[in-house]
Amino acid sequence: MASGTVAVVRVAPRASRGLWGDAWRRLLRNRPALLGFVFIGVFVGTAVFAPLLAPHDPGALYPPPPDASSGATGPYPPRPEHLMGQDLQGRDEFTRVVYGARISLLVGLGSVIFGVIIGGFVGAIAGAAGGRADNVLMRVVDVLLAIPGILLAIGIVAWLDRGLPQITIAVAVTNAPIFARLLRGGLLAIRESDYVLAARSVGVPTRRLLLRHMLPNSLTPIIVAATLALATAIIDVAGLGFLGLGPPDPRTPEWGTMLTDSTKFLRAAPYLIFFPGLAIVISAVGFNLLGDGLRESLDPRLKK
Amino acid sequence: MTKYIVRRLLGAIPVLFGLSIVLFAFIHLIPGDPATAILGQHATAQRIAEMREYLGLDDPLPVQYVDYLAGLLQGDFGRSFINNQPVLGEFLRRFPATVELTIAAMIFAVGVGIPLGRFAARYAQRWPDGAVTVLSLLGISIPVFVLGLTLQYIFAVQLKVLPASSRIDARLQLDLQTNFVLIDAWLHAGWTFDEKVDAFVDGVRHLVLPAIALGSIPLAIITRITRASVIEVANEDYVRTARAKGLTERRIDGRHIMRNAWLPVVTVIGLQVGGLLAGAVITETVFAWNGVGRWIVDAIGNRDYFVVQSTILIFALIFLMVNLIVDIAYAFLNPRIRYA
Amino acid sequence: MALLSVDGLVVRFRTHEGTIHAVNGVSFDLDEGETLGIVGESGCGKSVTSLAIMRLLPKPAGRIEGGSVRFDGQDLLACSEAEMREMRGRDMAMIFQDPMTSLNPVLTIEEQMVETIQAHRKVGNEEARARAIELLTIVGIPEPENRLRAFPHQFSGGMRQRVMIAMALALAPKLLIADEPTTALDVTIQAQVLELLQRLTTETGTAAILITHDLGVVAGMTQRINVMYAGYIVEAAPTAELFAKPSHPYTVGLLHSIPRLDAVQGEELIPIEGAPPDQRRAPVGCPFAPRCAWRLPDCWTTNPPLVPVRAAEAVVTTGPGATHRVACHNSPTPGEAAAGRPLREGFVAAPPPSAVADELAVVVP
Ligand SMILES: Nc1ncnc2c1ncn2[C@@H]1O[C@H](COP(=O)(O)OP(=O)(O)O)[C@@H](O)[C@H]1O
Ligand code: SF4
Ligand SMILES: [Mg+2]
Repeated sequence: MASGTVAVVRVAPRASRGLWGDAWRRLLRNRPALLGFVFIGVFVGTAVFAPLLAPHDPGALYPPPPDASSGATGPYPPRPEHLMGQDLQGRDEFTRVVYGARISLLVGLGSVIFGVIIGGFVGAIAGAAGGRADNVLMRVVDVLLAIPGILLAIGIVAWLDRGLPQITIAVAVTNAPIFARLLRGGLLAIRESDYVLAARSVGVPTRRLLLRHMLPNSLTPIIVAATLALATAIIDVAGLGFLGLGPPDPRTPEWGTMLTDSTKFLRAAPYLIFFPGLAIVISAVGFNLLGDGLRESLDPRLKK
Repeated sequence: MTKYIVRRLLGAIPVLFGLSIVLFAFIHLIPGDPATAILGQHATAQRIAEMREYLGLDDPLPVQYVDYLAGLLQGDFGRSFINNQPVLGEFLRRFPATVELTIAAMIFAVGVGIPLGRFAARYAQRWPDGAVTVLSLLGISIPVFVLGLTLQYIFAVQLKVLPASSRIDARLQLDLQTNFVLIDAWLHAGWTFDEKVDAFVDGVRHLVLPAIALGSIPLAIITRITRASVIEVANEDYVRTARAKGLTERRIDGRHIMRNAWLPVVTVIGLQVGGLLAGAVITETVFAWNGVGRWIVDAIGNRDYFVVQSTILIFALIFLMVNLIVDIAYAFLNPRIRYA
Repeated sequence: MALLSVDGLVVRFRTHEGTIHAVNGVSFDLDEGETLGIVGESGCGKSVTSLAIMRLLPKPAGRIEGGSVRFDGQDLLACSEAEMREMRGRDMAMIFQDPMTSLNPVLTIEEQMVETIQAHRKVGNEEARARAIELLTIVGIPEPENRLRAFPHQFSGGMRQRVMIAMALALAPKLLIADEPTTALDVTIQAQVLELLQRLTTETGTAAILITHDLGVVAGMTQRINVMYAGYIVEAAPTAELFAKPSHPYTVGLLHSIPRLDAVQGEELIPIEGAPPDQRRAPVGCPFAPRCAWRLPDCWTTNPPLVPVRAAEAVVTTGPGATHRVACHNSPTPGEAAAGRPLREGFVAAPPPSAVADELAVVVP
């Protein structure tokens, strides 16, 4: 090239692949987020492949270890056939923890999706309509937010009665106001922003404006919040179970419910607390890590 | 400032109305016949009729709502189905236990969270910051009951250094007057000073584990927000001005940075009260803590709907009130609002 | 012996995006009581230079990587943080660009002024307060006793900058650095604040560095001017001389891009085209070359040093007789300077050595 004596490099302007492409690349460079992916992978993988991973039937009762005194009841400590021990009824704890991932994923994911849909719907109407509709809807949101955390879910389950669909609804309603506020706030801010004004002034049609410009931009905080909400949802679902508001069928392996059943045996069988507890923590940590990573990579200004 | 407070107070009124409607609906829109749902399928027709009468179910809904609201305004939160006691009385009797636990958790969260956040901010991007980040991640990821059981196992079962549950050693036979154990220890008639101290210390020892379990989430959140706030304020122009004036780092930190960094932290502390009240429900269950939280859980088991409904309402009221107070405190701390 | 002596100052920022070459070997002197203007486009390193002198560069990214700063007989770069702290506010003070953000919003004016005084003098609250009132009176704040209890947001921008000036002059420093003190203010207020600054520094004999991106601001305010570009001083001269005989194409550009009172009727403003170079690369050749109409082939490869305009002249760095110096291979003649473009027959600016020239960079370790 030009000069023989100085080392010369070509400094190309960094290729940009749009908002999502850039965010994705930043995410892949974010080590905590990658760790989050690993944890989530373990959680989701366990849930999906539960029948392959679990050695036993989650509802079946298995005999005590041969050295147990006759007439003894569970719990029994871990041994090769039952890696995490057996619970009070003699069921295989490992199998139940594995199948518990299914319940947790199903109810957790279901409640977040449902929460995003109702919250998003309310927020979009409020943000797009403005005025009186906005006012009324946001007061409703205020009312729901005034009831602290899991208390609302407790009330709803008490009202609708126990059951997985009810739990899903309860946790969804608890989460929904957050999404409603986020989407509305985002829409309002963007509606006034320069580039939407600019787009409007050059005659971009409203529908296209909403779909191409406004939604994607108010979407990023929703994606972050939804990821973090998955962590909370998993914890809340287990919390309801722990309070005795879990699925009514005692054979359903739900992590929180499993913990309640074992609290009386804290001294004798800590493994019955440890493994389901660890399962909840791993799942929650995974989504929290990913959520934080997403926040950083979707909003480049938040660079650490 | 007065205008600001009045505006905030007026703003709370629609929310309170909304709450009363939601919770009214809670009793009156129970799937099926509320009286049957409350008493169960096997209740006699006469009991069900009594219940319908008691609930005023035969009146039109708006009339029922007005009655309900009038009752609320007079402090009538309904009665328990189980023992027919007024809800409010039992609530007030139990509430100090919950308050004691909540305050202890808050002291733990604030007392540890703020120094930890400042520490992380000082070493931002270096390993102490990383360690604090991991800790706060765990804090928000471990459910209260998992942490509570773990703490019980480690400190009560294994190390035997702290009691596993209840509010005070039953053998002390402390009589609960205010139902704040730490106060009642001093009020107990006939005890010598040393005995009072012993009871107080025992009360504190019983508080430690539940307070940590309950306070861990607010701790994590307060740590994060303090860290972020301190880092942000430290980059403000006026901090550079303070340095250019030749102030000591100590003074810059304590006065120029912290006085500003506090503000968002205060707001977040207020918001944590809701989480603490909700978390108390679970913590009290784990630690056999005889407060409102356990009462709610028992009430749900007994289908004691009025208890559930009313306690949720009261908790929401408290939450709203605390946040109102915090907002006003914020306005006081922030001259830009105080002298707006 | 000059009060302030900056020699070969190099400041770099180590960031995620790489190294930023903010200041690349800046040298100048300042005598006691002298007023120096530093002028240049935004981003040319004016603030970084002054922060480096105060040793207030943002940590840990900003580092002084070369040169020396001597102030009042001391080597500032060898001073401990505690020694610097004692000098800041007392011997050297600084006023910043944005009075809206430079005062602490939660402390009263009184608290901020009193703490400044008490940081350096063992005086009681009453005495410090009396001094604060005196200072506010001097800078022209009405009802100083009452205003002392106010918070910054209760003042207008101009009044806040007056408070900043009062605070900076509280301990009668030997050196005052004013970094774009009027940029954030309304035009009418600007003149008042500048006049105040000038009056006070003259009265107290404080040496001042006035930083601005606006040549018009320094014209009547300073005795000498340094023109900065991309982290270099490209021209240095007594003020009158600089306006009379601008000798660097960038200075010429600056003069033609501001409205001047003495401008010939109908003379149009010529903005400088292009943008300052990317300071993530150490420049090869003259940093102004990509935007320069006078450039020669050499300009692409050799960075000209700052030398006297009249060759072989002995260099005087301070005072009214300071040597006019410029860093340019092909200085505009007075006629060209007046016209704002080269007038030589058939002259064209030398093209870059290759088509991709502005994508070339030296790899710096
Ligand atoms: N904190 C910082 N981090 C990284 N780069 C900085 C920082 N502060 C200034 N710079 C860079 O240093 C150069 C000079 O900036 P500055 O001195 O502020 O310019 P100005 O002449 O407008 O005052 C600019 O390229 C700027 O981007
Ligand atoms: S003539 Fe050459 S050296 Fe002078 S400013 Fe132009 S490019 Fe730089
Ligand atoms: Mg600047």
